[in-house]
Amino acid sequence: MYPVWQVPVMGSALVIAFIASFHILPSHLATSAFWFNVYVEDKAYKEDRPELLEFIKKYVLVILIFSFIFGSLSGVGIWYAVTVSNPKGISALIHNYVWGWASEWVFFIIEILAIYIYYYTLGRVDDRTHLTIGLIYAIGSWISMVIITGIISFMLSPGKWLRTGGFFDGFFNPTYLPQLLMRTSFMFAIAGLYAIVVAGTLKNREVASFIVRRASVWGMAGAVLAALFFKLYLWSLPDTAKELYGMSVLVGTVPDIAVAAFIALFVWFIVVWIRPQLARLVPGVLAILILLAGIFSAESVRERIRKPYVIDHYMYSNQIIPNDMVAKGVQGEMGTIDREGILHYSYFVPEGLRTIDDADLLRSGRIIAQIECSACHTLESNGWLRPLPAMMEKAGLVTVDDTQAFIGFLDSFPFMPQFAGTAAEKRALAAYLVSIRPHPAGAPAGRATIGKIHR
Amino acid sequence: MTNIGAMLKSLQDPMGVPFYPLVFQVLLVITFALHIIFVNLVVGGVFMSVYGYFKKGGHYRPLAKSFAKATTINFSLLIVLGVAPLLFMQVIYDPFWYTSNVLSAAWMVGVVFALMAAFSFVYVFYLKITKERKHIGVWGVAAFLLIILVGVTMHAVSYQALFPEQWVRWYVGGSTADFSGTILHAFQLPRFLHFMVASFAITGIFMMVYSWYFKDRDDMDRSYLVWVGKAGAKMAVVFTVLQMAVGVWWLLSVPANFQFYKNPVFIAAGILAVVLLLVLIEAQSNPQRYALPTAGLALISVLGMTSAREALRVLYAGRYDYSVYSYKLNLSYGSTVLFAVTFLMGIVIVGYMLTVVFKMGRSSKPIDLSSLKLRTWSVYLMIAWVLMMIGIGVAIAS
Repeated sequence: MYPVWQVPVMGSALVIAFIASFHILPSHLATSAFWFNVYVEDKAYKEDRPELLEFIKKYVLVILIFSFIFGSLSGVGIWYAVTVSNPKGISALIHNYVWGWASEWVFFIIEILAIYIYYYTLGRVDDRTHLTIGLIYAIGSWISMVIITGIISFMLSPGKWLRTGGFFDGFFNPTYLPQLLMRTSFMFAIAGLYAIVVAGTLKNREVASFIVRRASVWGMAGAVLAALFFKLYLWSLPDTAKELYGMSVLVGTVPDIAVAAFIALFVWFIVVWIRPQLARLVPGVLAILILLAGIFSAESVRERIRKPYVIDHYMYSNQIIPNDMVAKGVQGEMGTIDREGILHYSYFVPEGLRTIDDADLLRSGRIIAQIECSACHTLESNGWLRPLPAMMEKAGLVTVDDTQAFIGFLDSFPFMPQFAGTAAEKRALAAYLVSIRPHPAGAPAGRATIGKIHR
Repeated sequence: MTNIGAMLKSLQDPMGVPFYPLVFQVLLVITFALHIIFVNLVVGGVFMSVYGYFKKGGHYRPLAKSFAKATTINFSLLIVLGVAPLLFMQVIYDPFWYTSNVLSAAWMVGVVFALMAAFSFVYVFYLKITKERKHIGVWGVAAFLLIILVGVTMHAVSYQALFPEQWVRWYVGGSTADFSGTILHAFQLPRFLHFMVASFAITGIFMMVYSWYFKDRDDMDRSYLVWVGKAGAKMAVVFTVLQMAVGVWWLLSVPANFQFYKNPVFIAAGILAVVLLLVLIEAQSNPQRYALPTAGLALISVLGMTSAREALRVLYAGRYDYSVYSYKLNLSYGSTVLFAVTFLMGIVIVGYMLTVVFKMGRSSKPIDLSSLKLRTWSVYLMIAWVLMMIGIGVAIAS
């Protein structure tokens, strides 16, 4: 086991979530914008309307700055955040998909050269060459989506891979195609949304109307298709994920936010299609923020319905591999940890706390919580991410005995992993959890237990 | 007492690596060399653009502008070229890299935000200096300081990875535990300086190439180009000498029992550095003429340097019997072929685009390049790639 990074109050998972959700805006813009761009540029040459190039120049600068500063760096940011929050999870992905990522990297290089050359050669090379560079960018950046979707969907539904361990078996998994189609459709809606914002800043209002009209059609078409493919995606989910999707305790109202954001965007496309002059900067940016809220919710649902795994049926969110994975010669860790204890299994534990004794019960318990729980739960009562003190209260757990019994059948909740460790460790964790629980007035049993432990 | 060797072994990914570790190691060294060259160009480029801005007189202002523009592009390339070594590092040195990252987790996440700020400042500086705005030095200086901060962090995290015997102590230090990742635990000045000083030598060589590249453009000032070439050559030679001195300092500070001075990789790298220095001395009289051979030699020297760095890492890891070559293998021929095919295709397309930009930059007027054969080929190749993936997907599904 690697050491654990613990972010107070916020939780390391939310660090990933914020960076990752933000990343979707510039990255989907980067993959989609050039299809629209090349379409407009082609029109400019064919219909001899050089004034359209004003839009092109502005639109590309937005992509250049937004996608190639904040987009590429937030992409690296996801990787760093995942590395320090869940090293074993990213390690598993990399040791399966290193060549996939390396191939994606080739397309990153193609993209980056293409966009700079496109930007700096506008008007300096012939039209056909310039359009070709634009097309290379458009195809290349979409291919980077083709690749990364394989890896993201693999985490949710590894499919045949669990049996074979094959690269392509995991890549072309049950939810791959629906996700790819959904993202591809949706990226056109995002491209339309940005184009409308950029058009809102153009001085030539006639050009602006022209762009807004077409961009809103792209937006509507992309949105409708994305909605259809979303249905396909839900249908393709593994049964366990479908079950979790139906559980309001886990998913709550989050999908509703996504749906509301989606409808708002669709209305926005219709409005500017009817009245392009309404497409100004401020409402345009507002629409993008609504989009962000929608994306955050949709991605969050995907993370939730994968629980308790980070890679479905292979590795728990707390980085423990429960079962053997025969095809790759991986041994499940549960047996060893139950026998030796998690505090012995992990190297990164203070020497004095490895063996549970009464004096250090709570401190040992806290380390166990940090290793096994903190990936999804903050330990502080004011924590943002399913804080453990509140969970204890919700479950009505007051005594150490009850809590220990509860931990014993934790995995009867479909979204919770099995506890891994010895009976003594289970008791230490239970004692710690009871100690951080908000103390209810008139609960003598709980108090007495806590008092005993503190002594 | 912890058995360090067993700990490292247990941290390795249980699935093993999908191809022979040597291949990942070679790719790590090559891609890191490319990455570090652009790190050098950004460090040196930001410095030169700010220096030129404050210096005002003579040819400094146009040089500052050119560097400001070039740095925006170099920064993007720095990021994208950094992705590959980061990837390959995690394939074969995962226990070292991941543990060290977690130990300084807050810093590593902070690096991303520092880079975003630095890159934005570089852009602001560039857009403002081309419009001749005043009081913009602060953007450049802030960008420079942030970049140095990122350099310090990356150095520390790479360096503390080499000391697994310290990890547990750093993390849980006796009976207390620090899970916050807010501390950098190790720093080695000569190793860090070896990256920084090189920046100015590489940037000097970049100036020589710049002077050579634009020499045939009729809209460029000849005397300016000659000046840039000479200044670059001088800078390159001075900082190469300094770099060698820092190199000796670093050599003296590595554990004596490595006997690194006897290491063939190190000796080869040292010889390359000396040859580079000799060529640079020769180039002083006519930097434009020597620009290309010098740049080529510098590239090879940087490769030598990164190879030596890897040889050193092998020795550090070897103290605990960790060898990348004994990593468990789970061969995946399919995905290896996928990368090889993609890579070859990438070379063709990148080659086409570099041809376009090379020819365009050399011409002061718009230029017709539509007859380049690789133009349509580049598009066809990518379409073929997509078709190939569809084919594999269909085969897997059926």
